[in-house]
Amino acid sequence: MNPGKMNLAVIVAGAMFLSGCASLGVKPWQRDVLARKDMQLSAGSIDSAVDDHLYFSKEASSGGRSFAGGGCGCN
Amino acid sequence: MQLGADTRGVRRRLVAATCALLTASATRSQATPRASIDEMLSDWRLDSALAYYHEDGRIQAIEPVVSVSRDFGDGETLDLNFTFDSLTGSSPNGALPSRKPQTFASPSGTSLMLAHHSYTTAPGELPVDPHYHDQRFALGADWTLPLTRLTRVTVGGKFSDEHDFLSVTADASIAHDFNDKNTTVSLGLFDENDSLSPIGGAPVPLSDYALFEKTGHKSKNGAGVLLSVTQVMTRTWLTEFNLSADRFTGYLNDPYKIISVIDDGGDTVGYVYENRPQSRTRRSAYLENRVGWERASAALSLRYMSDSWGVHSATAQLNLRQWNAERDKYLEPTARWYRQTAADFYTPWLLNSAGPDVTVASSDSRLGAFRALTYGLKFGMKLNDKFGRDDSELNLRVEYYQQTVESAVPGPGSLQGLDLYPSLKAVLLEIGFSY
Repeated sequence: MNPGKMNLAVIVAGAMFLSGCASLGVKPWQRDVLARKDMQLSAGSIDSAVDDHLYFSKEASSGGRSFAGGGCGCN
Repeated sequence: MQLGADTRGVRRRLVAATCALLTASATRSQATPRASIDEMLSDWRLDSALAYYHEDGRIQAIEPVVSVSRDFGDGETLDLNFTFDSLTGSSPNGALPSRKPQTFASPSGTSLMLAHHSYTTAPGELPVDPHYHDQRFALGADWTLPLTRLTRVTVGGKFSDEHDFLSVTADASIAHDFNDKNTTVSLGLFDENDSLSPIGGAPVPLSDYALFEKTGHKSKNGAGVLLSVTQVMTRTWLTEFNLSADRFTGYLNDPYKIISVIDDGGDTVGYVYENRPQSRTRRSAYLENRVGWERASAALSLRYMSDSWGVHSATAQLNLRQWNAERDKYLEPTARWYRQTAADFYTPWLLNSAGPDVTVASSDSRLGAFRALTYGLKFGMKLNDKFGRDDSELNLRVEYYQQTVESAVPGPGSLQGLDLYPSLKAVLLEIGFSY
């Protein structure tokens, strides 16, 4: 597949994805549970930072949730 | 007279109004400093933790983490974080256990005789450098700015300093909300530049350990991209899917790791310094789901990662939080499962008959095949917040982590019967405070 067709395929796939997402979700007044701190993707960020540093220094994989950069000479 | 009475009336009202204004002004002037300090403090959030990490017979570490953030309103936020690590203990040097005592020099040594610290490992024991110590100081910042009602950018940076390692990272991302803010798509980039100053110098790769052939400073650089889609599925279900890739080039060796060279009978005849490829490309897919109930919530995350070194890993983590009836205390058990395959060049030892054909090799157990399990429990209790915020809390966390080697190759000859792949066991204790 040439780059032009690939870009078109990505755009079409992205548009289909977003239009599919349009049928999901809630109205602004239905966000009571989603607004709770324990429902945020950033919940427990300090715990995650401590754990990620542990796993970064003991395992060959890191990142995924956020950038995989280390900033640590431990691995 | 009529006019005079009116004048007196007006004067009385003016005096009364002036007094009222002065009183109000005086009251305000007394309240202003405290009110303004309170107002300023109420805009800031503090998240902090003190973690203690202890490995069975190896490293222990203390790590305070402090993060402060401010919400300026209209979507503008600033996050600043500070981390300090202090590590001491014993670190595996990469060599195998042996039937005979083995003597090693500290990294600063120029020979086994002149080493500031030398250490001898007893027969059958895993060689570890008992003088390992390190301290790390890291600062990070992220600033998020709204571009439009639905689009925002975040720029950030991280600085990390150790006595033999310096890292500077810059990152930027842009996020856009779709579908009534039920869908968010973001794209981020980072660039990392590391400078390494190994103690005693960076060893010549695959050189004889006994010759102490070392060179000067080294560097490595990395850059990566992260594409993320967050979707509100229902009133109680949120999901996130990330794709990321990064590439690091330069000096990717561990300058303190050596490899045992053994003969066909399993006896150690020497050691060489490790050597890894000078580039590494990683790709990962990450899926996280969060589901909430009236007094509980669950977070399940799955990650698959592979890299150009031949490492493939899978990770699954589940956190369950249960609140009490008053919703002021919670318990949160955690379980994590991790499994990785070995890097193509991982080898527990080198045979002296292998000769010069070996160009890349490492015995670092972190590049071997293993699985790891983590079990944790967290207890949190809400604190009274003078600003009326609902998420100030004090929490305690304990975790147990264990690595078990997979696909272990039995050692030849005299190595048979020795524990060549000891498992790693560690405990993490943490106290956290958010206000």
